[in-house]
Amino acid sequence: MDRPKIPLNLILARLAADAEQAKQRLEKAKDILLGPLDTDIGTTPYELVYQEDRVSLKYYRPAEVRCKTPLLLVHGLFNRETLLDLQPDRSIVQNLLKAGLEVYLVSWGAPSRRDQFFTLDDHINGYLDNIVDFIRGRHQVPKVNLMGVCLGGTFGVIYAALYPEKVRNLVTIATPIQFDTPKGLLHIWLKEIDVDRLVDAFGNLPGNLVNTAFLLLNPPRLLLDKYIGLLENMDNKEFVENFIRMEKWIFDSPDVPGETVRQMLKDLYQGNRLVHNEMELGGRRVKLGTITMPLLNIYGRYDHLVPPEACEVLTKAAGTRDSQDICLDSGHIGIYVGAQFQREVVPTLVAWLGERDS
Amino acid sequence: MTQEQPRTTGAEPLLAAWIKWTMEFWEAMAHMGPGPIMAEIDGDLCLEAAGPGEAWLPFLNLWQAFFSLLTEPDTVAAVFQGIRAPSEMVLRMAQAGWEGYFQLHRQWLEGWESDGILNPDDFEDLDQDIAKICSDLYEKDFRRLLQMPHLRLTGLTQECLNQATEKFNRFQAAMAEFTHMLYLPVKKSLRAMRGVGGRGRQERPPEDFKEYYRGWLKVLEGHYMTLFQSTEFVQTLVHTLLALQEFSAAKDALMAEVMEALALPSRRDLDALYREMYGLKKSMKDLAKKLDSLAPATEPG
Repeated sequence: MDRPKIPLNLILARLAADAEQAKQRLEKAKDILLGPLDTDIGTTPYELVYQEDRVSLKYYRPAEVRCKTPLLLVHGLFNRETLLDLQPDRSIVQNLLKAGLEVYLVSWGAPSRRDQFFTLDDHINGYLDNIVDFIRGRHQVPKVNLMGVCLGGTFGVIYAALYPEKVRNLVTIATPIQFDTPKGLLHIWLKEIDVDRLVDAFGNLPGNLVNTAFLLLNPPRLLLDKYIGLLENMDNKEFVENFIRMEKWIFDSPDVPGETVRQMLKDLYQGNRLVHNEMELGGRRVKLGTITMPLLNIYGRYDHLVPPEACEVLTKAAGTRDSQDICLDSGHIGIYVGAQFQREVVPTLVAWLGERDS
Repeated sequence: MTQEQPRTTGAEPLLAAWIKWTMEFWEAMAHMGPGPIMAEIDGDLCLEAAGPGEAWLPFLNLWQAFFSLLTEPDTVAAVFQGIRAPSEMVLRMAQAGWEGYFQLHRQWLEGWESDGILNPDDFEDLDQDIAKICSDLYEKDFRRLLQMPHLRLTGLTQECLNQATEKFNRFQAAMAEFTHMLYLPVKKSLRAMRGVGGRGRQERPPEDFKEYYRGWLKVLEGHYMTLFQSTEFVQTLVHTLLALQEFSAAKDALMAEVMEALALPSRRDLDALYREMYGLKKSMKDLAKKLDSLAPATEPG
């Protein structure tokens, strides 16, 4: 049996060429890394208009207001809101401002141990409802547009189900509703976790643990290939800046209040109660059928964190007749910072909201 | 010589010889020492010059008498003759101690054998199972030492410290097992890539390293996805998390003891305070909301 011959001379020739290229790249990379780099995140100017405990509200004013109803962005508790304004050329916030929308962004702050007893009820019936009331009062409008991202979208869905009279349009991005799916690794893992012991031991769910869990979702890409990509593009200043911005965001997961985690994991990831209309919050049953406002549901086909199976059920379960699904050829993070979202989806989203503004 | 030797543990003759040698040594020392020492003592023993040391005189006399007596060869022989009798008791006690130790050692070895730790076949998979073997070894043997009940005399802190150490060790063992499991896909993917191009031995190896790397990455990703969805991985993950939680709780308990000893508020105290603050804040917010809703109705006119 003939074994294939290894073309050693070709490999060596390539290695020599690569070595020359690597040397040139390193020389340029040295200048870039030692020179000034713009790696700030969340740089779009805003005004802090509301503060309650650690929770605050950022207001972004467009140059020209073209939409009557202000838009409230809600992200999850597991990451920072800066994802929505990560880099200047791919910022959801900036693109919405360019389209003439008044944007509000919730910042959940940095929960410390003293926040461990704050429940999901406190976050949704408390902070979120107070914020919505504040915006309604500030703009003298009966309803706001609500856009939720990831688990912030789940918050938005729960809020819209409890307070349909305060939400004009609901937009969900990569929002899990169906938690009983074997497609998402987090859904598989979290089913078996002893939530009570976890919360009792740590008080709050440590951000570092959350980071580690996210990295474990795809170690070859997130722990290896990503950094090889950096080495290959070290001579590209823009690439390096954006890479560091993303690194800053990824490794900046805040701790999550323990009691909130307890209910989220038990009711959602383990009990899957939301989709079955069995979840209760502040003594009230959350019924998806009460979501009667227009609904736009966006998710990624290759999202390994929140798979399509976890998202697409929403439009079927909601009580609205005006709903639309948009499935992008994207992963989880790619939805927010990917070129496709900025180029195609944001204009679609703005037009969709514009049509339903009155 | 056909005389039958009594069955011993092997340590008995050794110990007997050692005790005998010790006694002979001190006997010889007793014969050698006293002459010059006594002369010196005699020289220093000037009662008039002692003055304030007068109170010591009875003790010194007693000391002198004792040594004089001790230096008499007959006395020494008698004393050591007397000691020889209890020495047999000491020998028996020491023998029991040695036997206890050997028995404990034998139990450990037997335990390991029955657990399969010393089964030579098991070492074939040593690389794969090393974390598990170490973990089992710790669980079945060393852990028991740290879990021995403590007397209250040594204080609770000692028990807390042992608990924290024990939980830390268990967490380390679980972590080692978890890390090893994370390494398995790398190993498998490298094995798969031993064939050229990652797709079989018969293919021509790629000339481009990047192509080879991309192929390997794809294989690696596939192995990780298979692993992460497996029951074994989920169980190991849960076990590791549980070990981390237990260690965290044990560490907190220890810290609480230390803080209490230093008269400082512990995390437990602060948590209780936070809970109270949370309750108060919530009540206050509810009241403020109720007041706000009442305000328009109470306005005059």
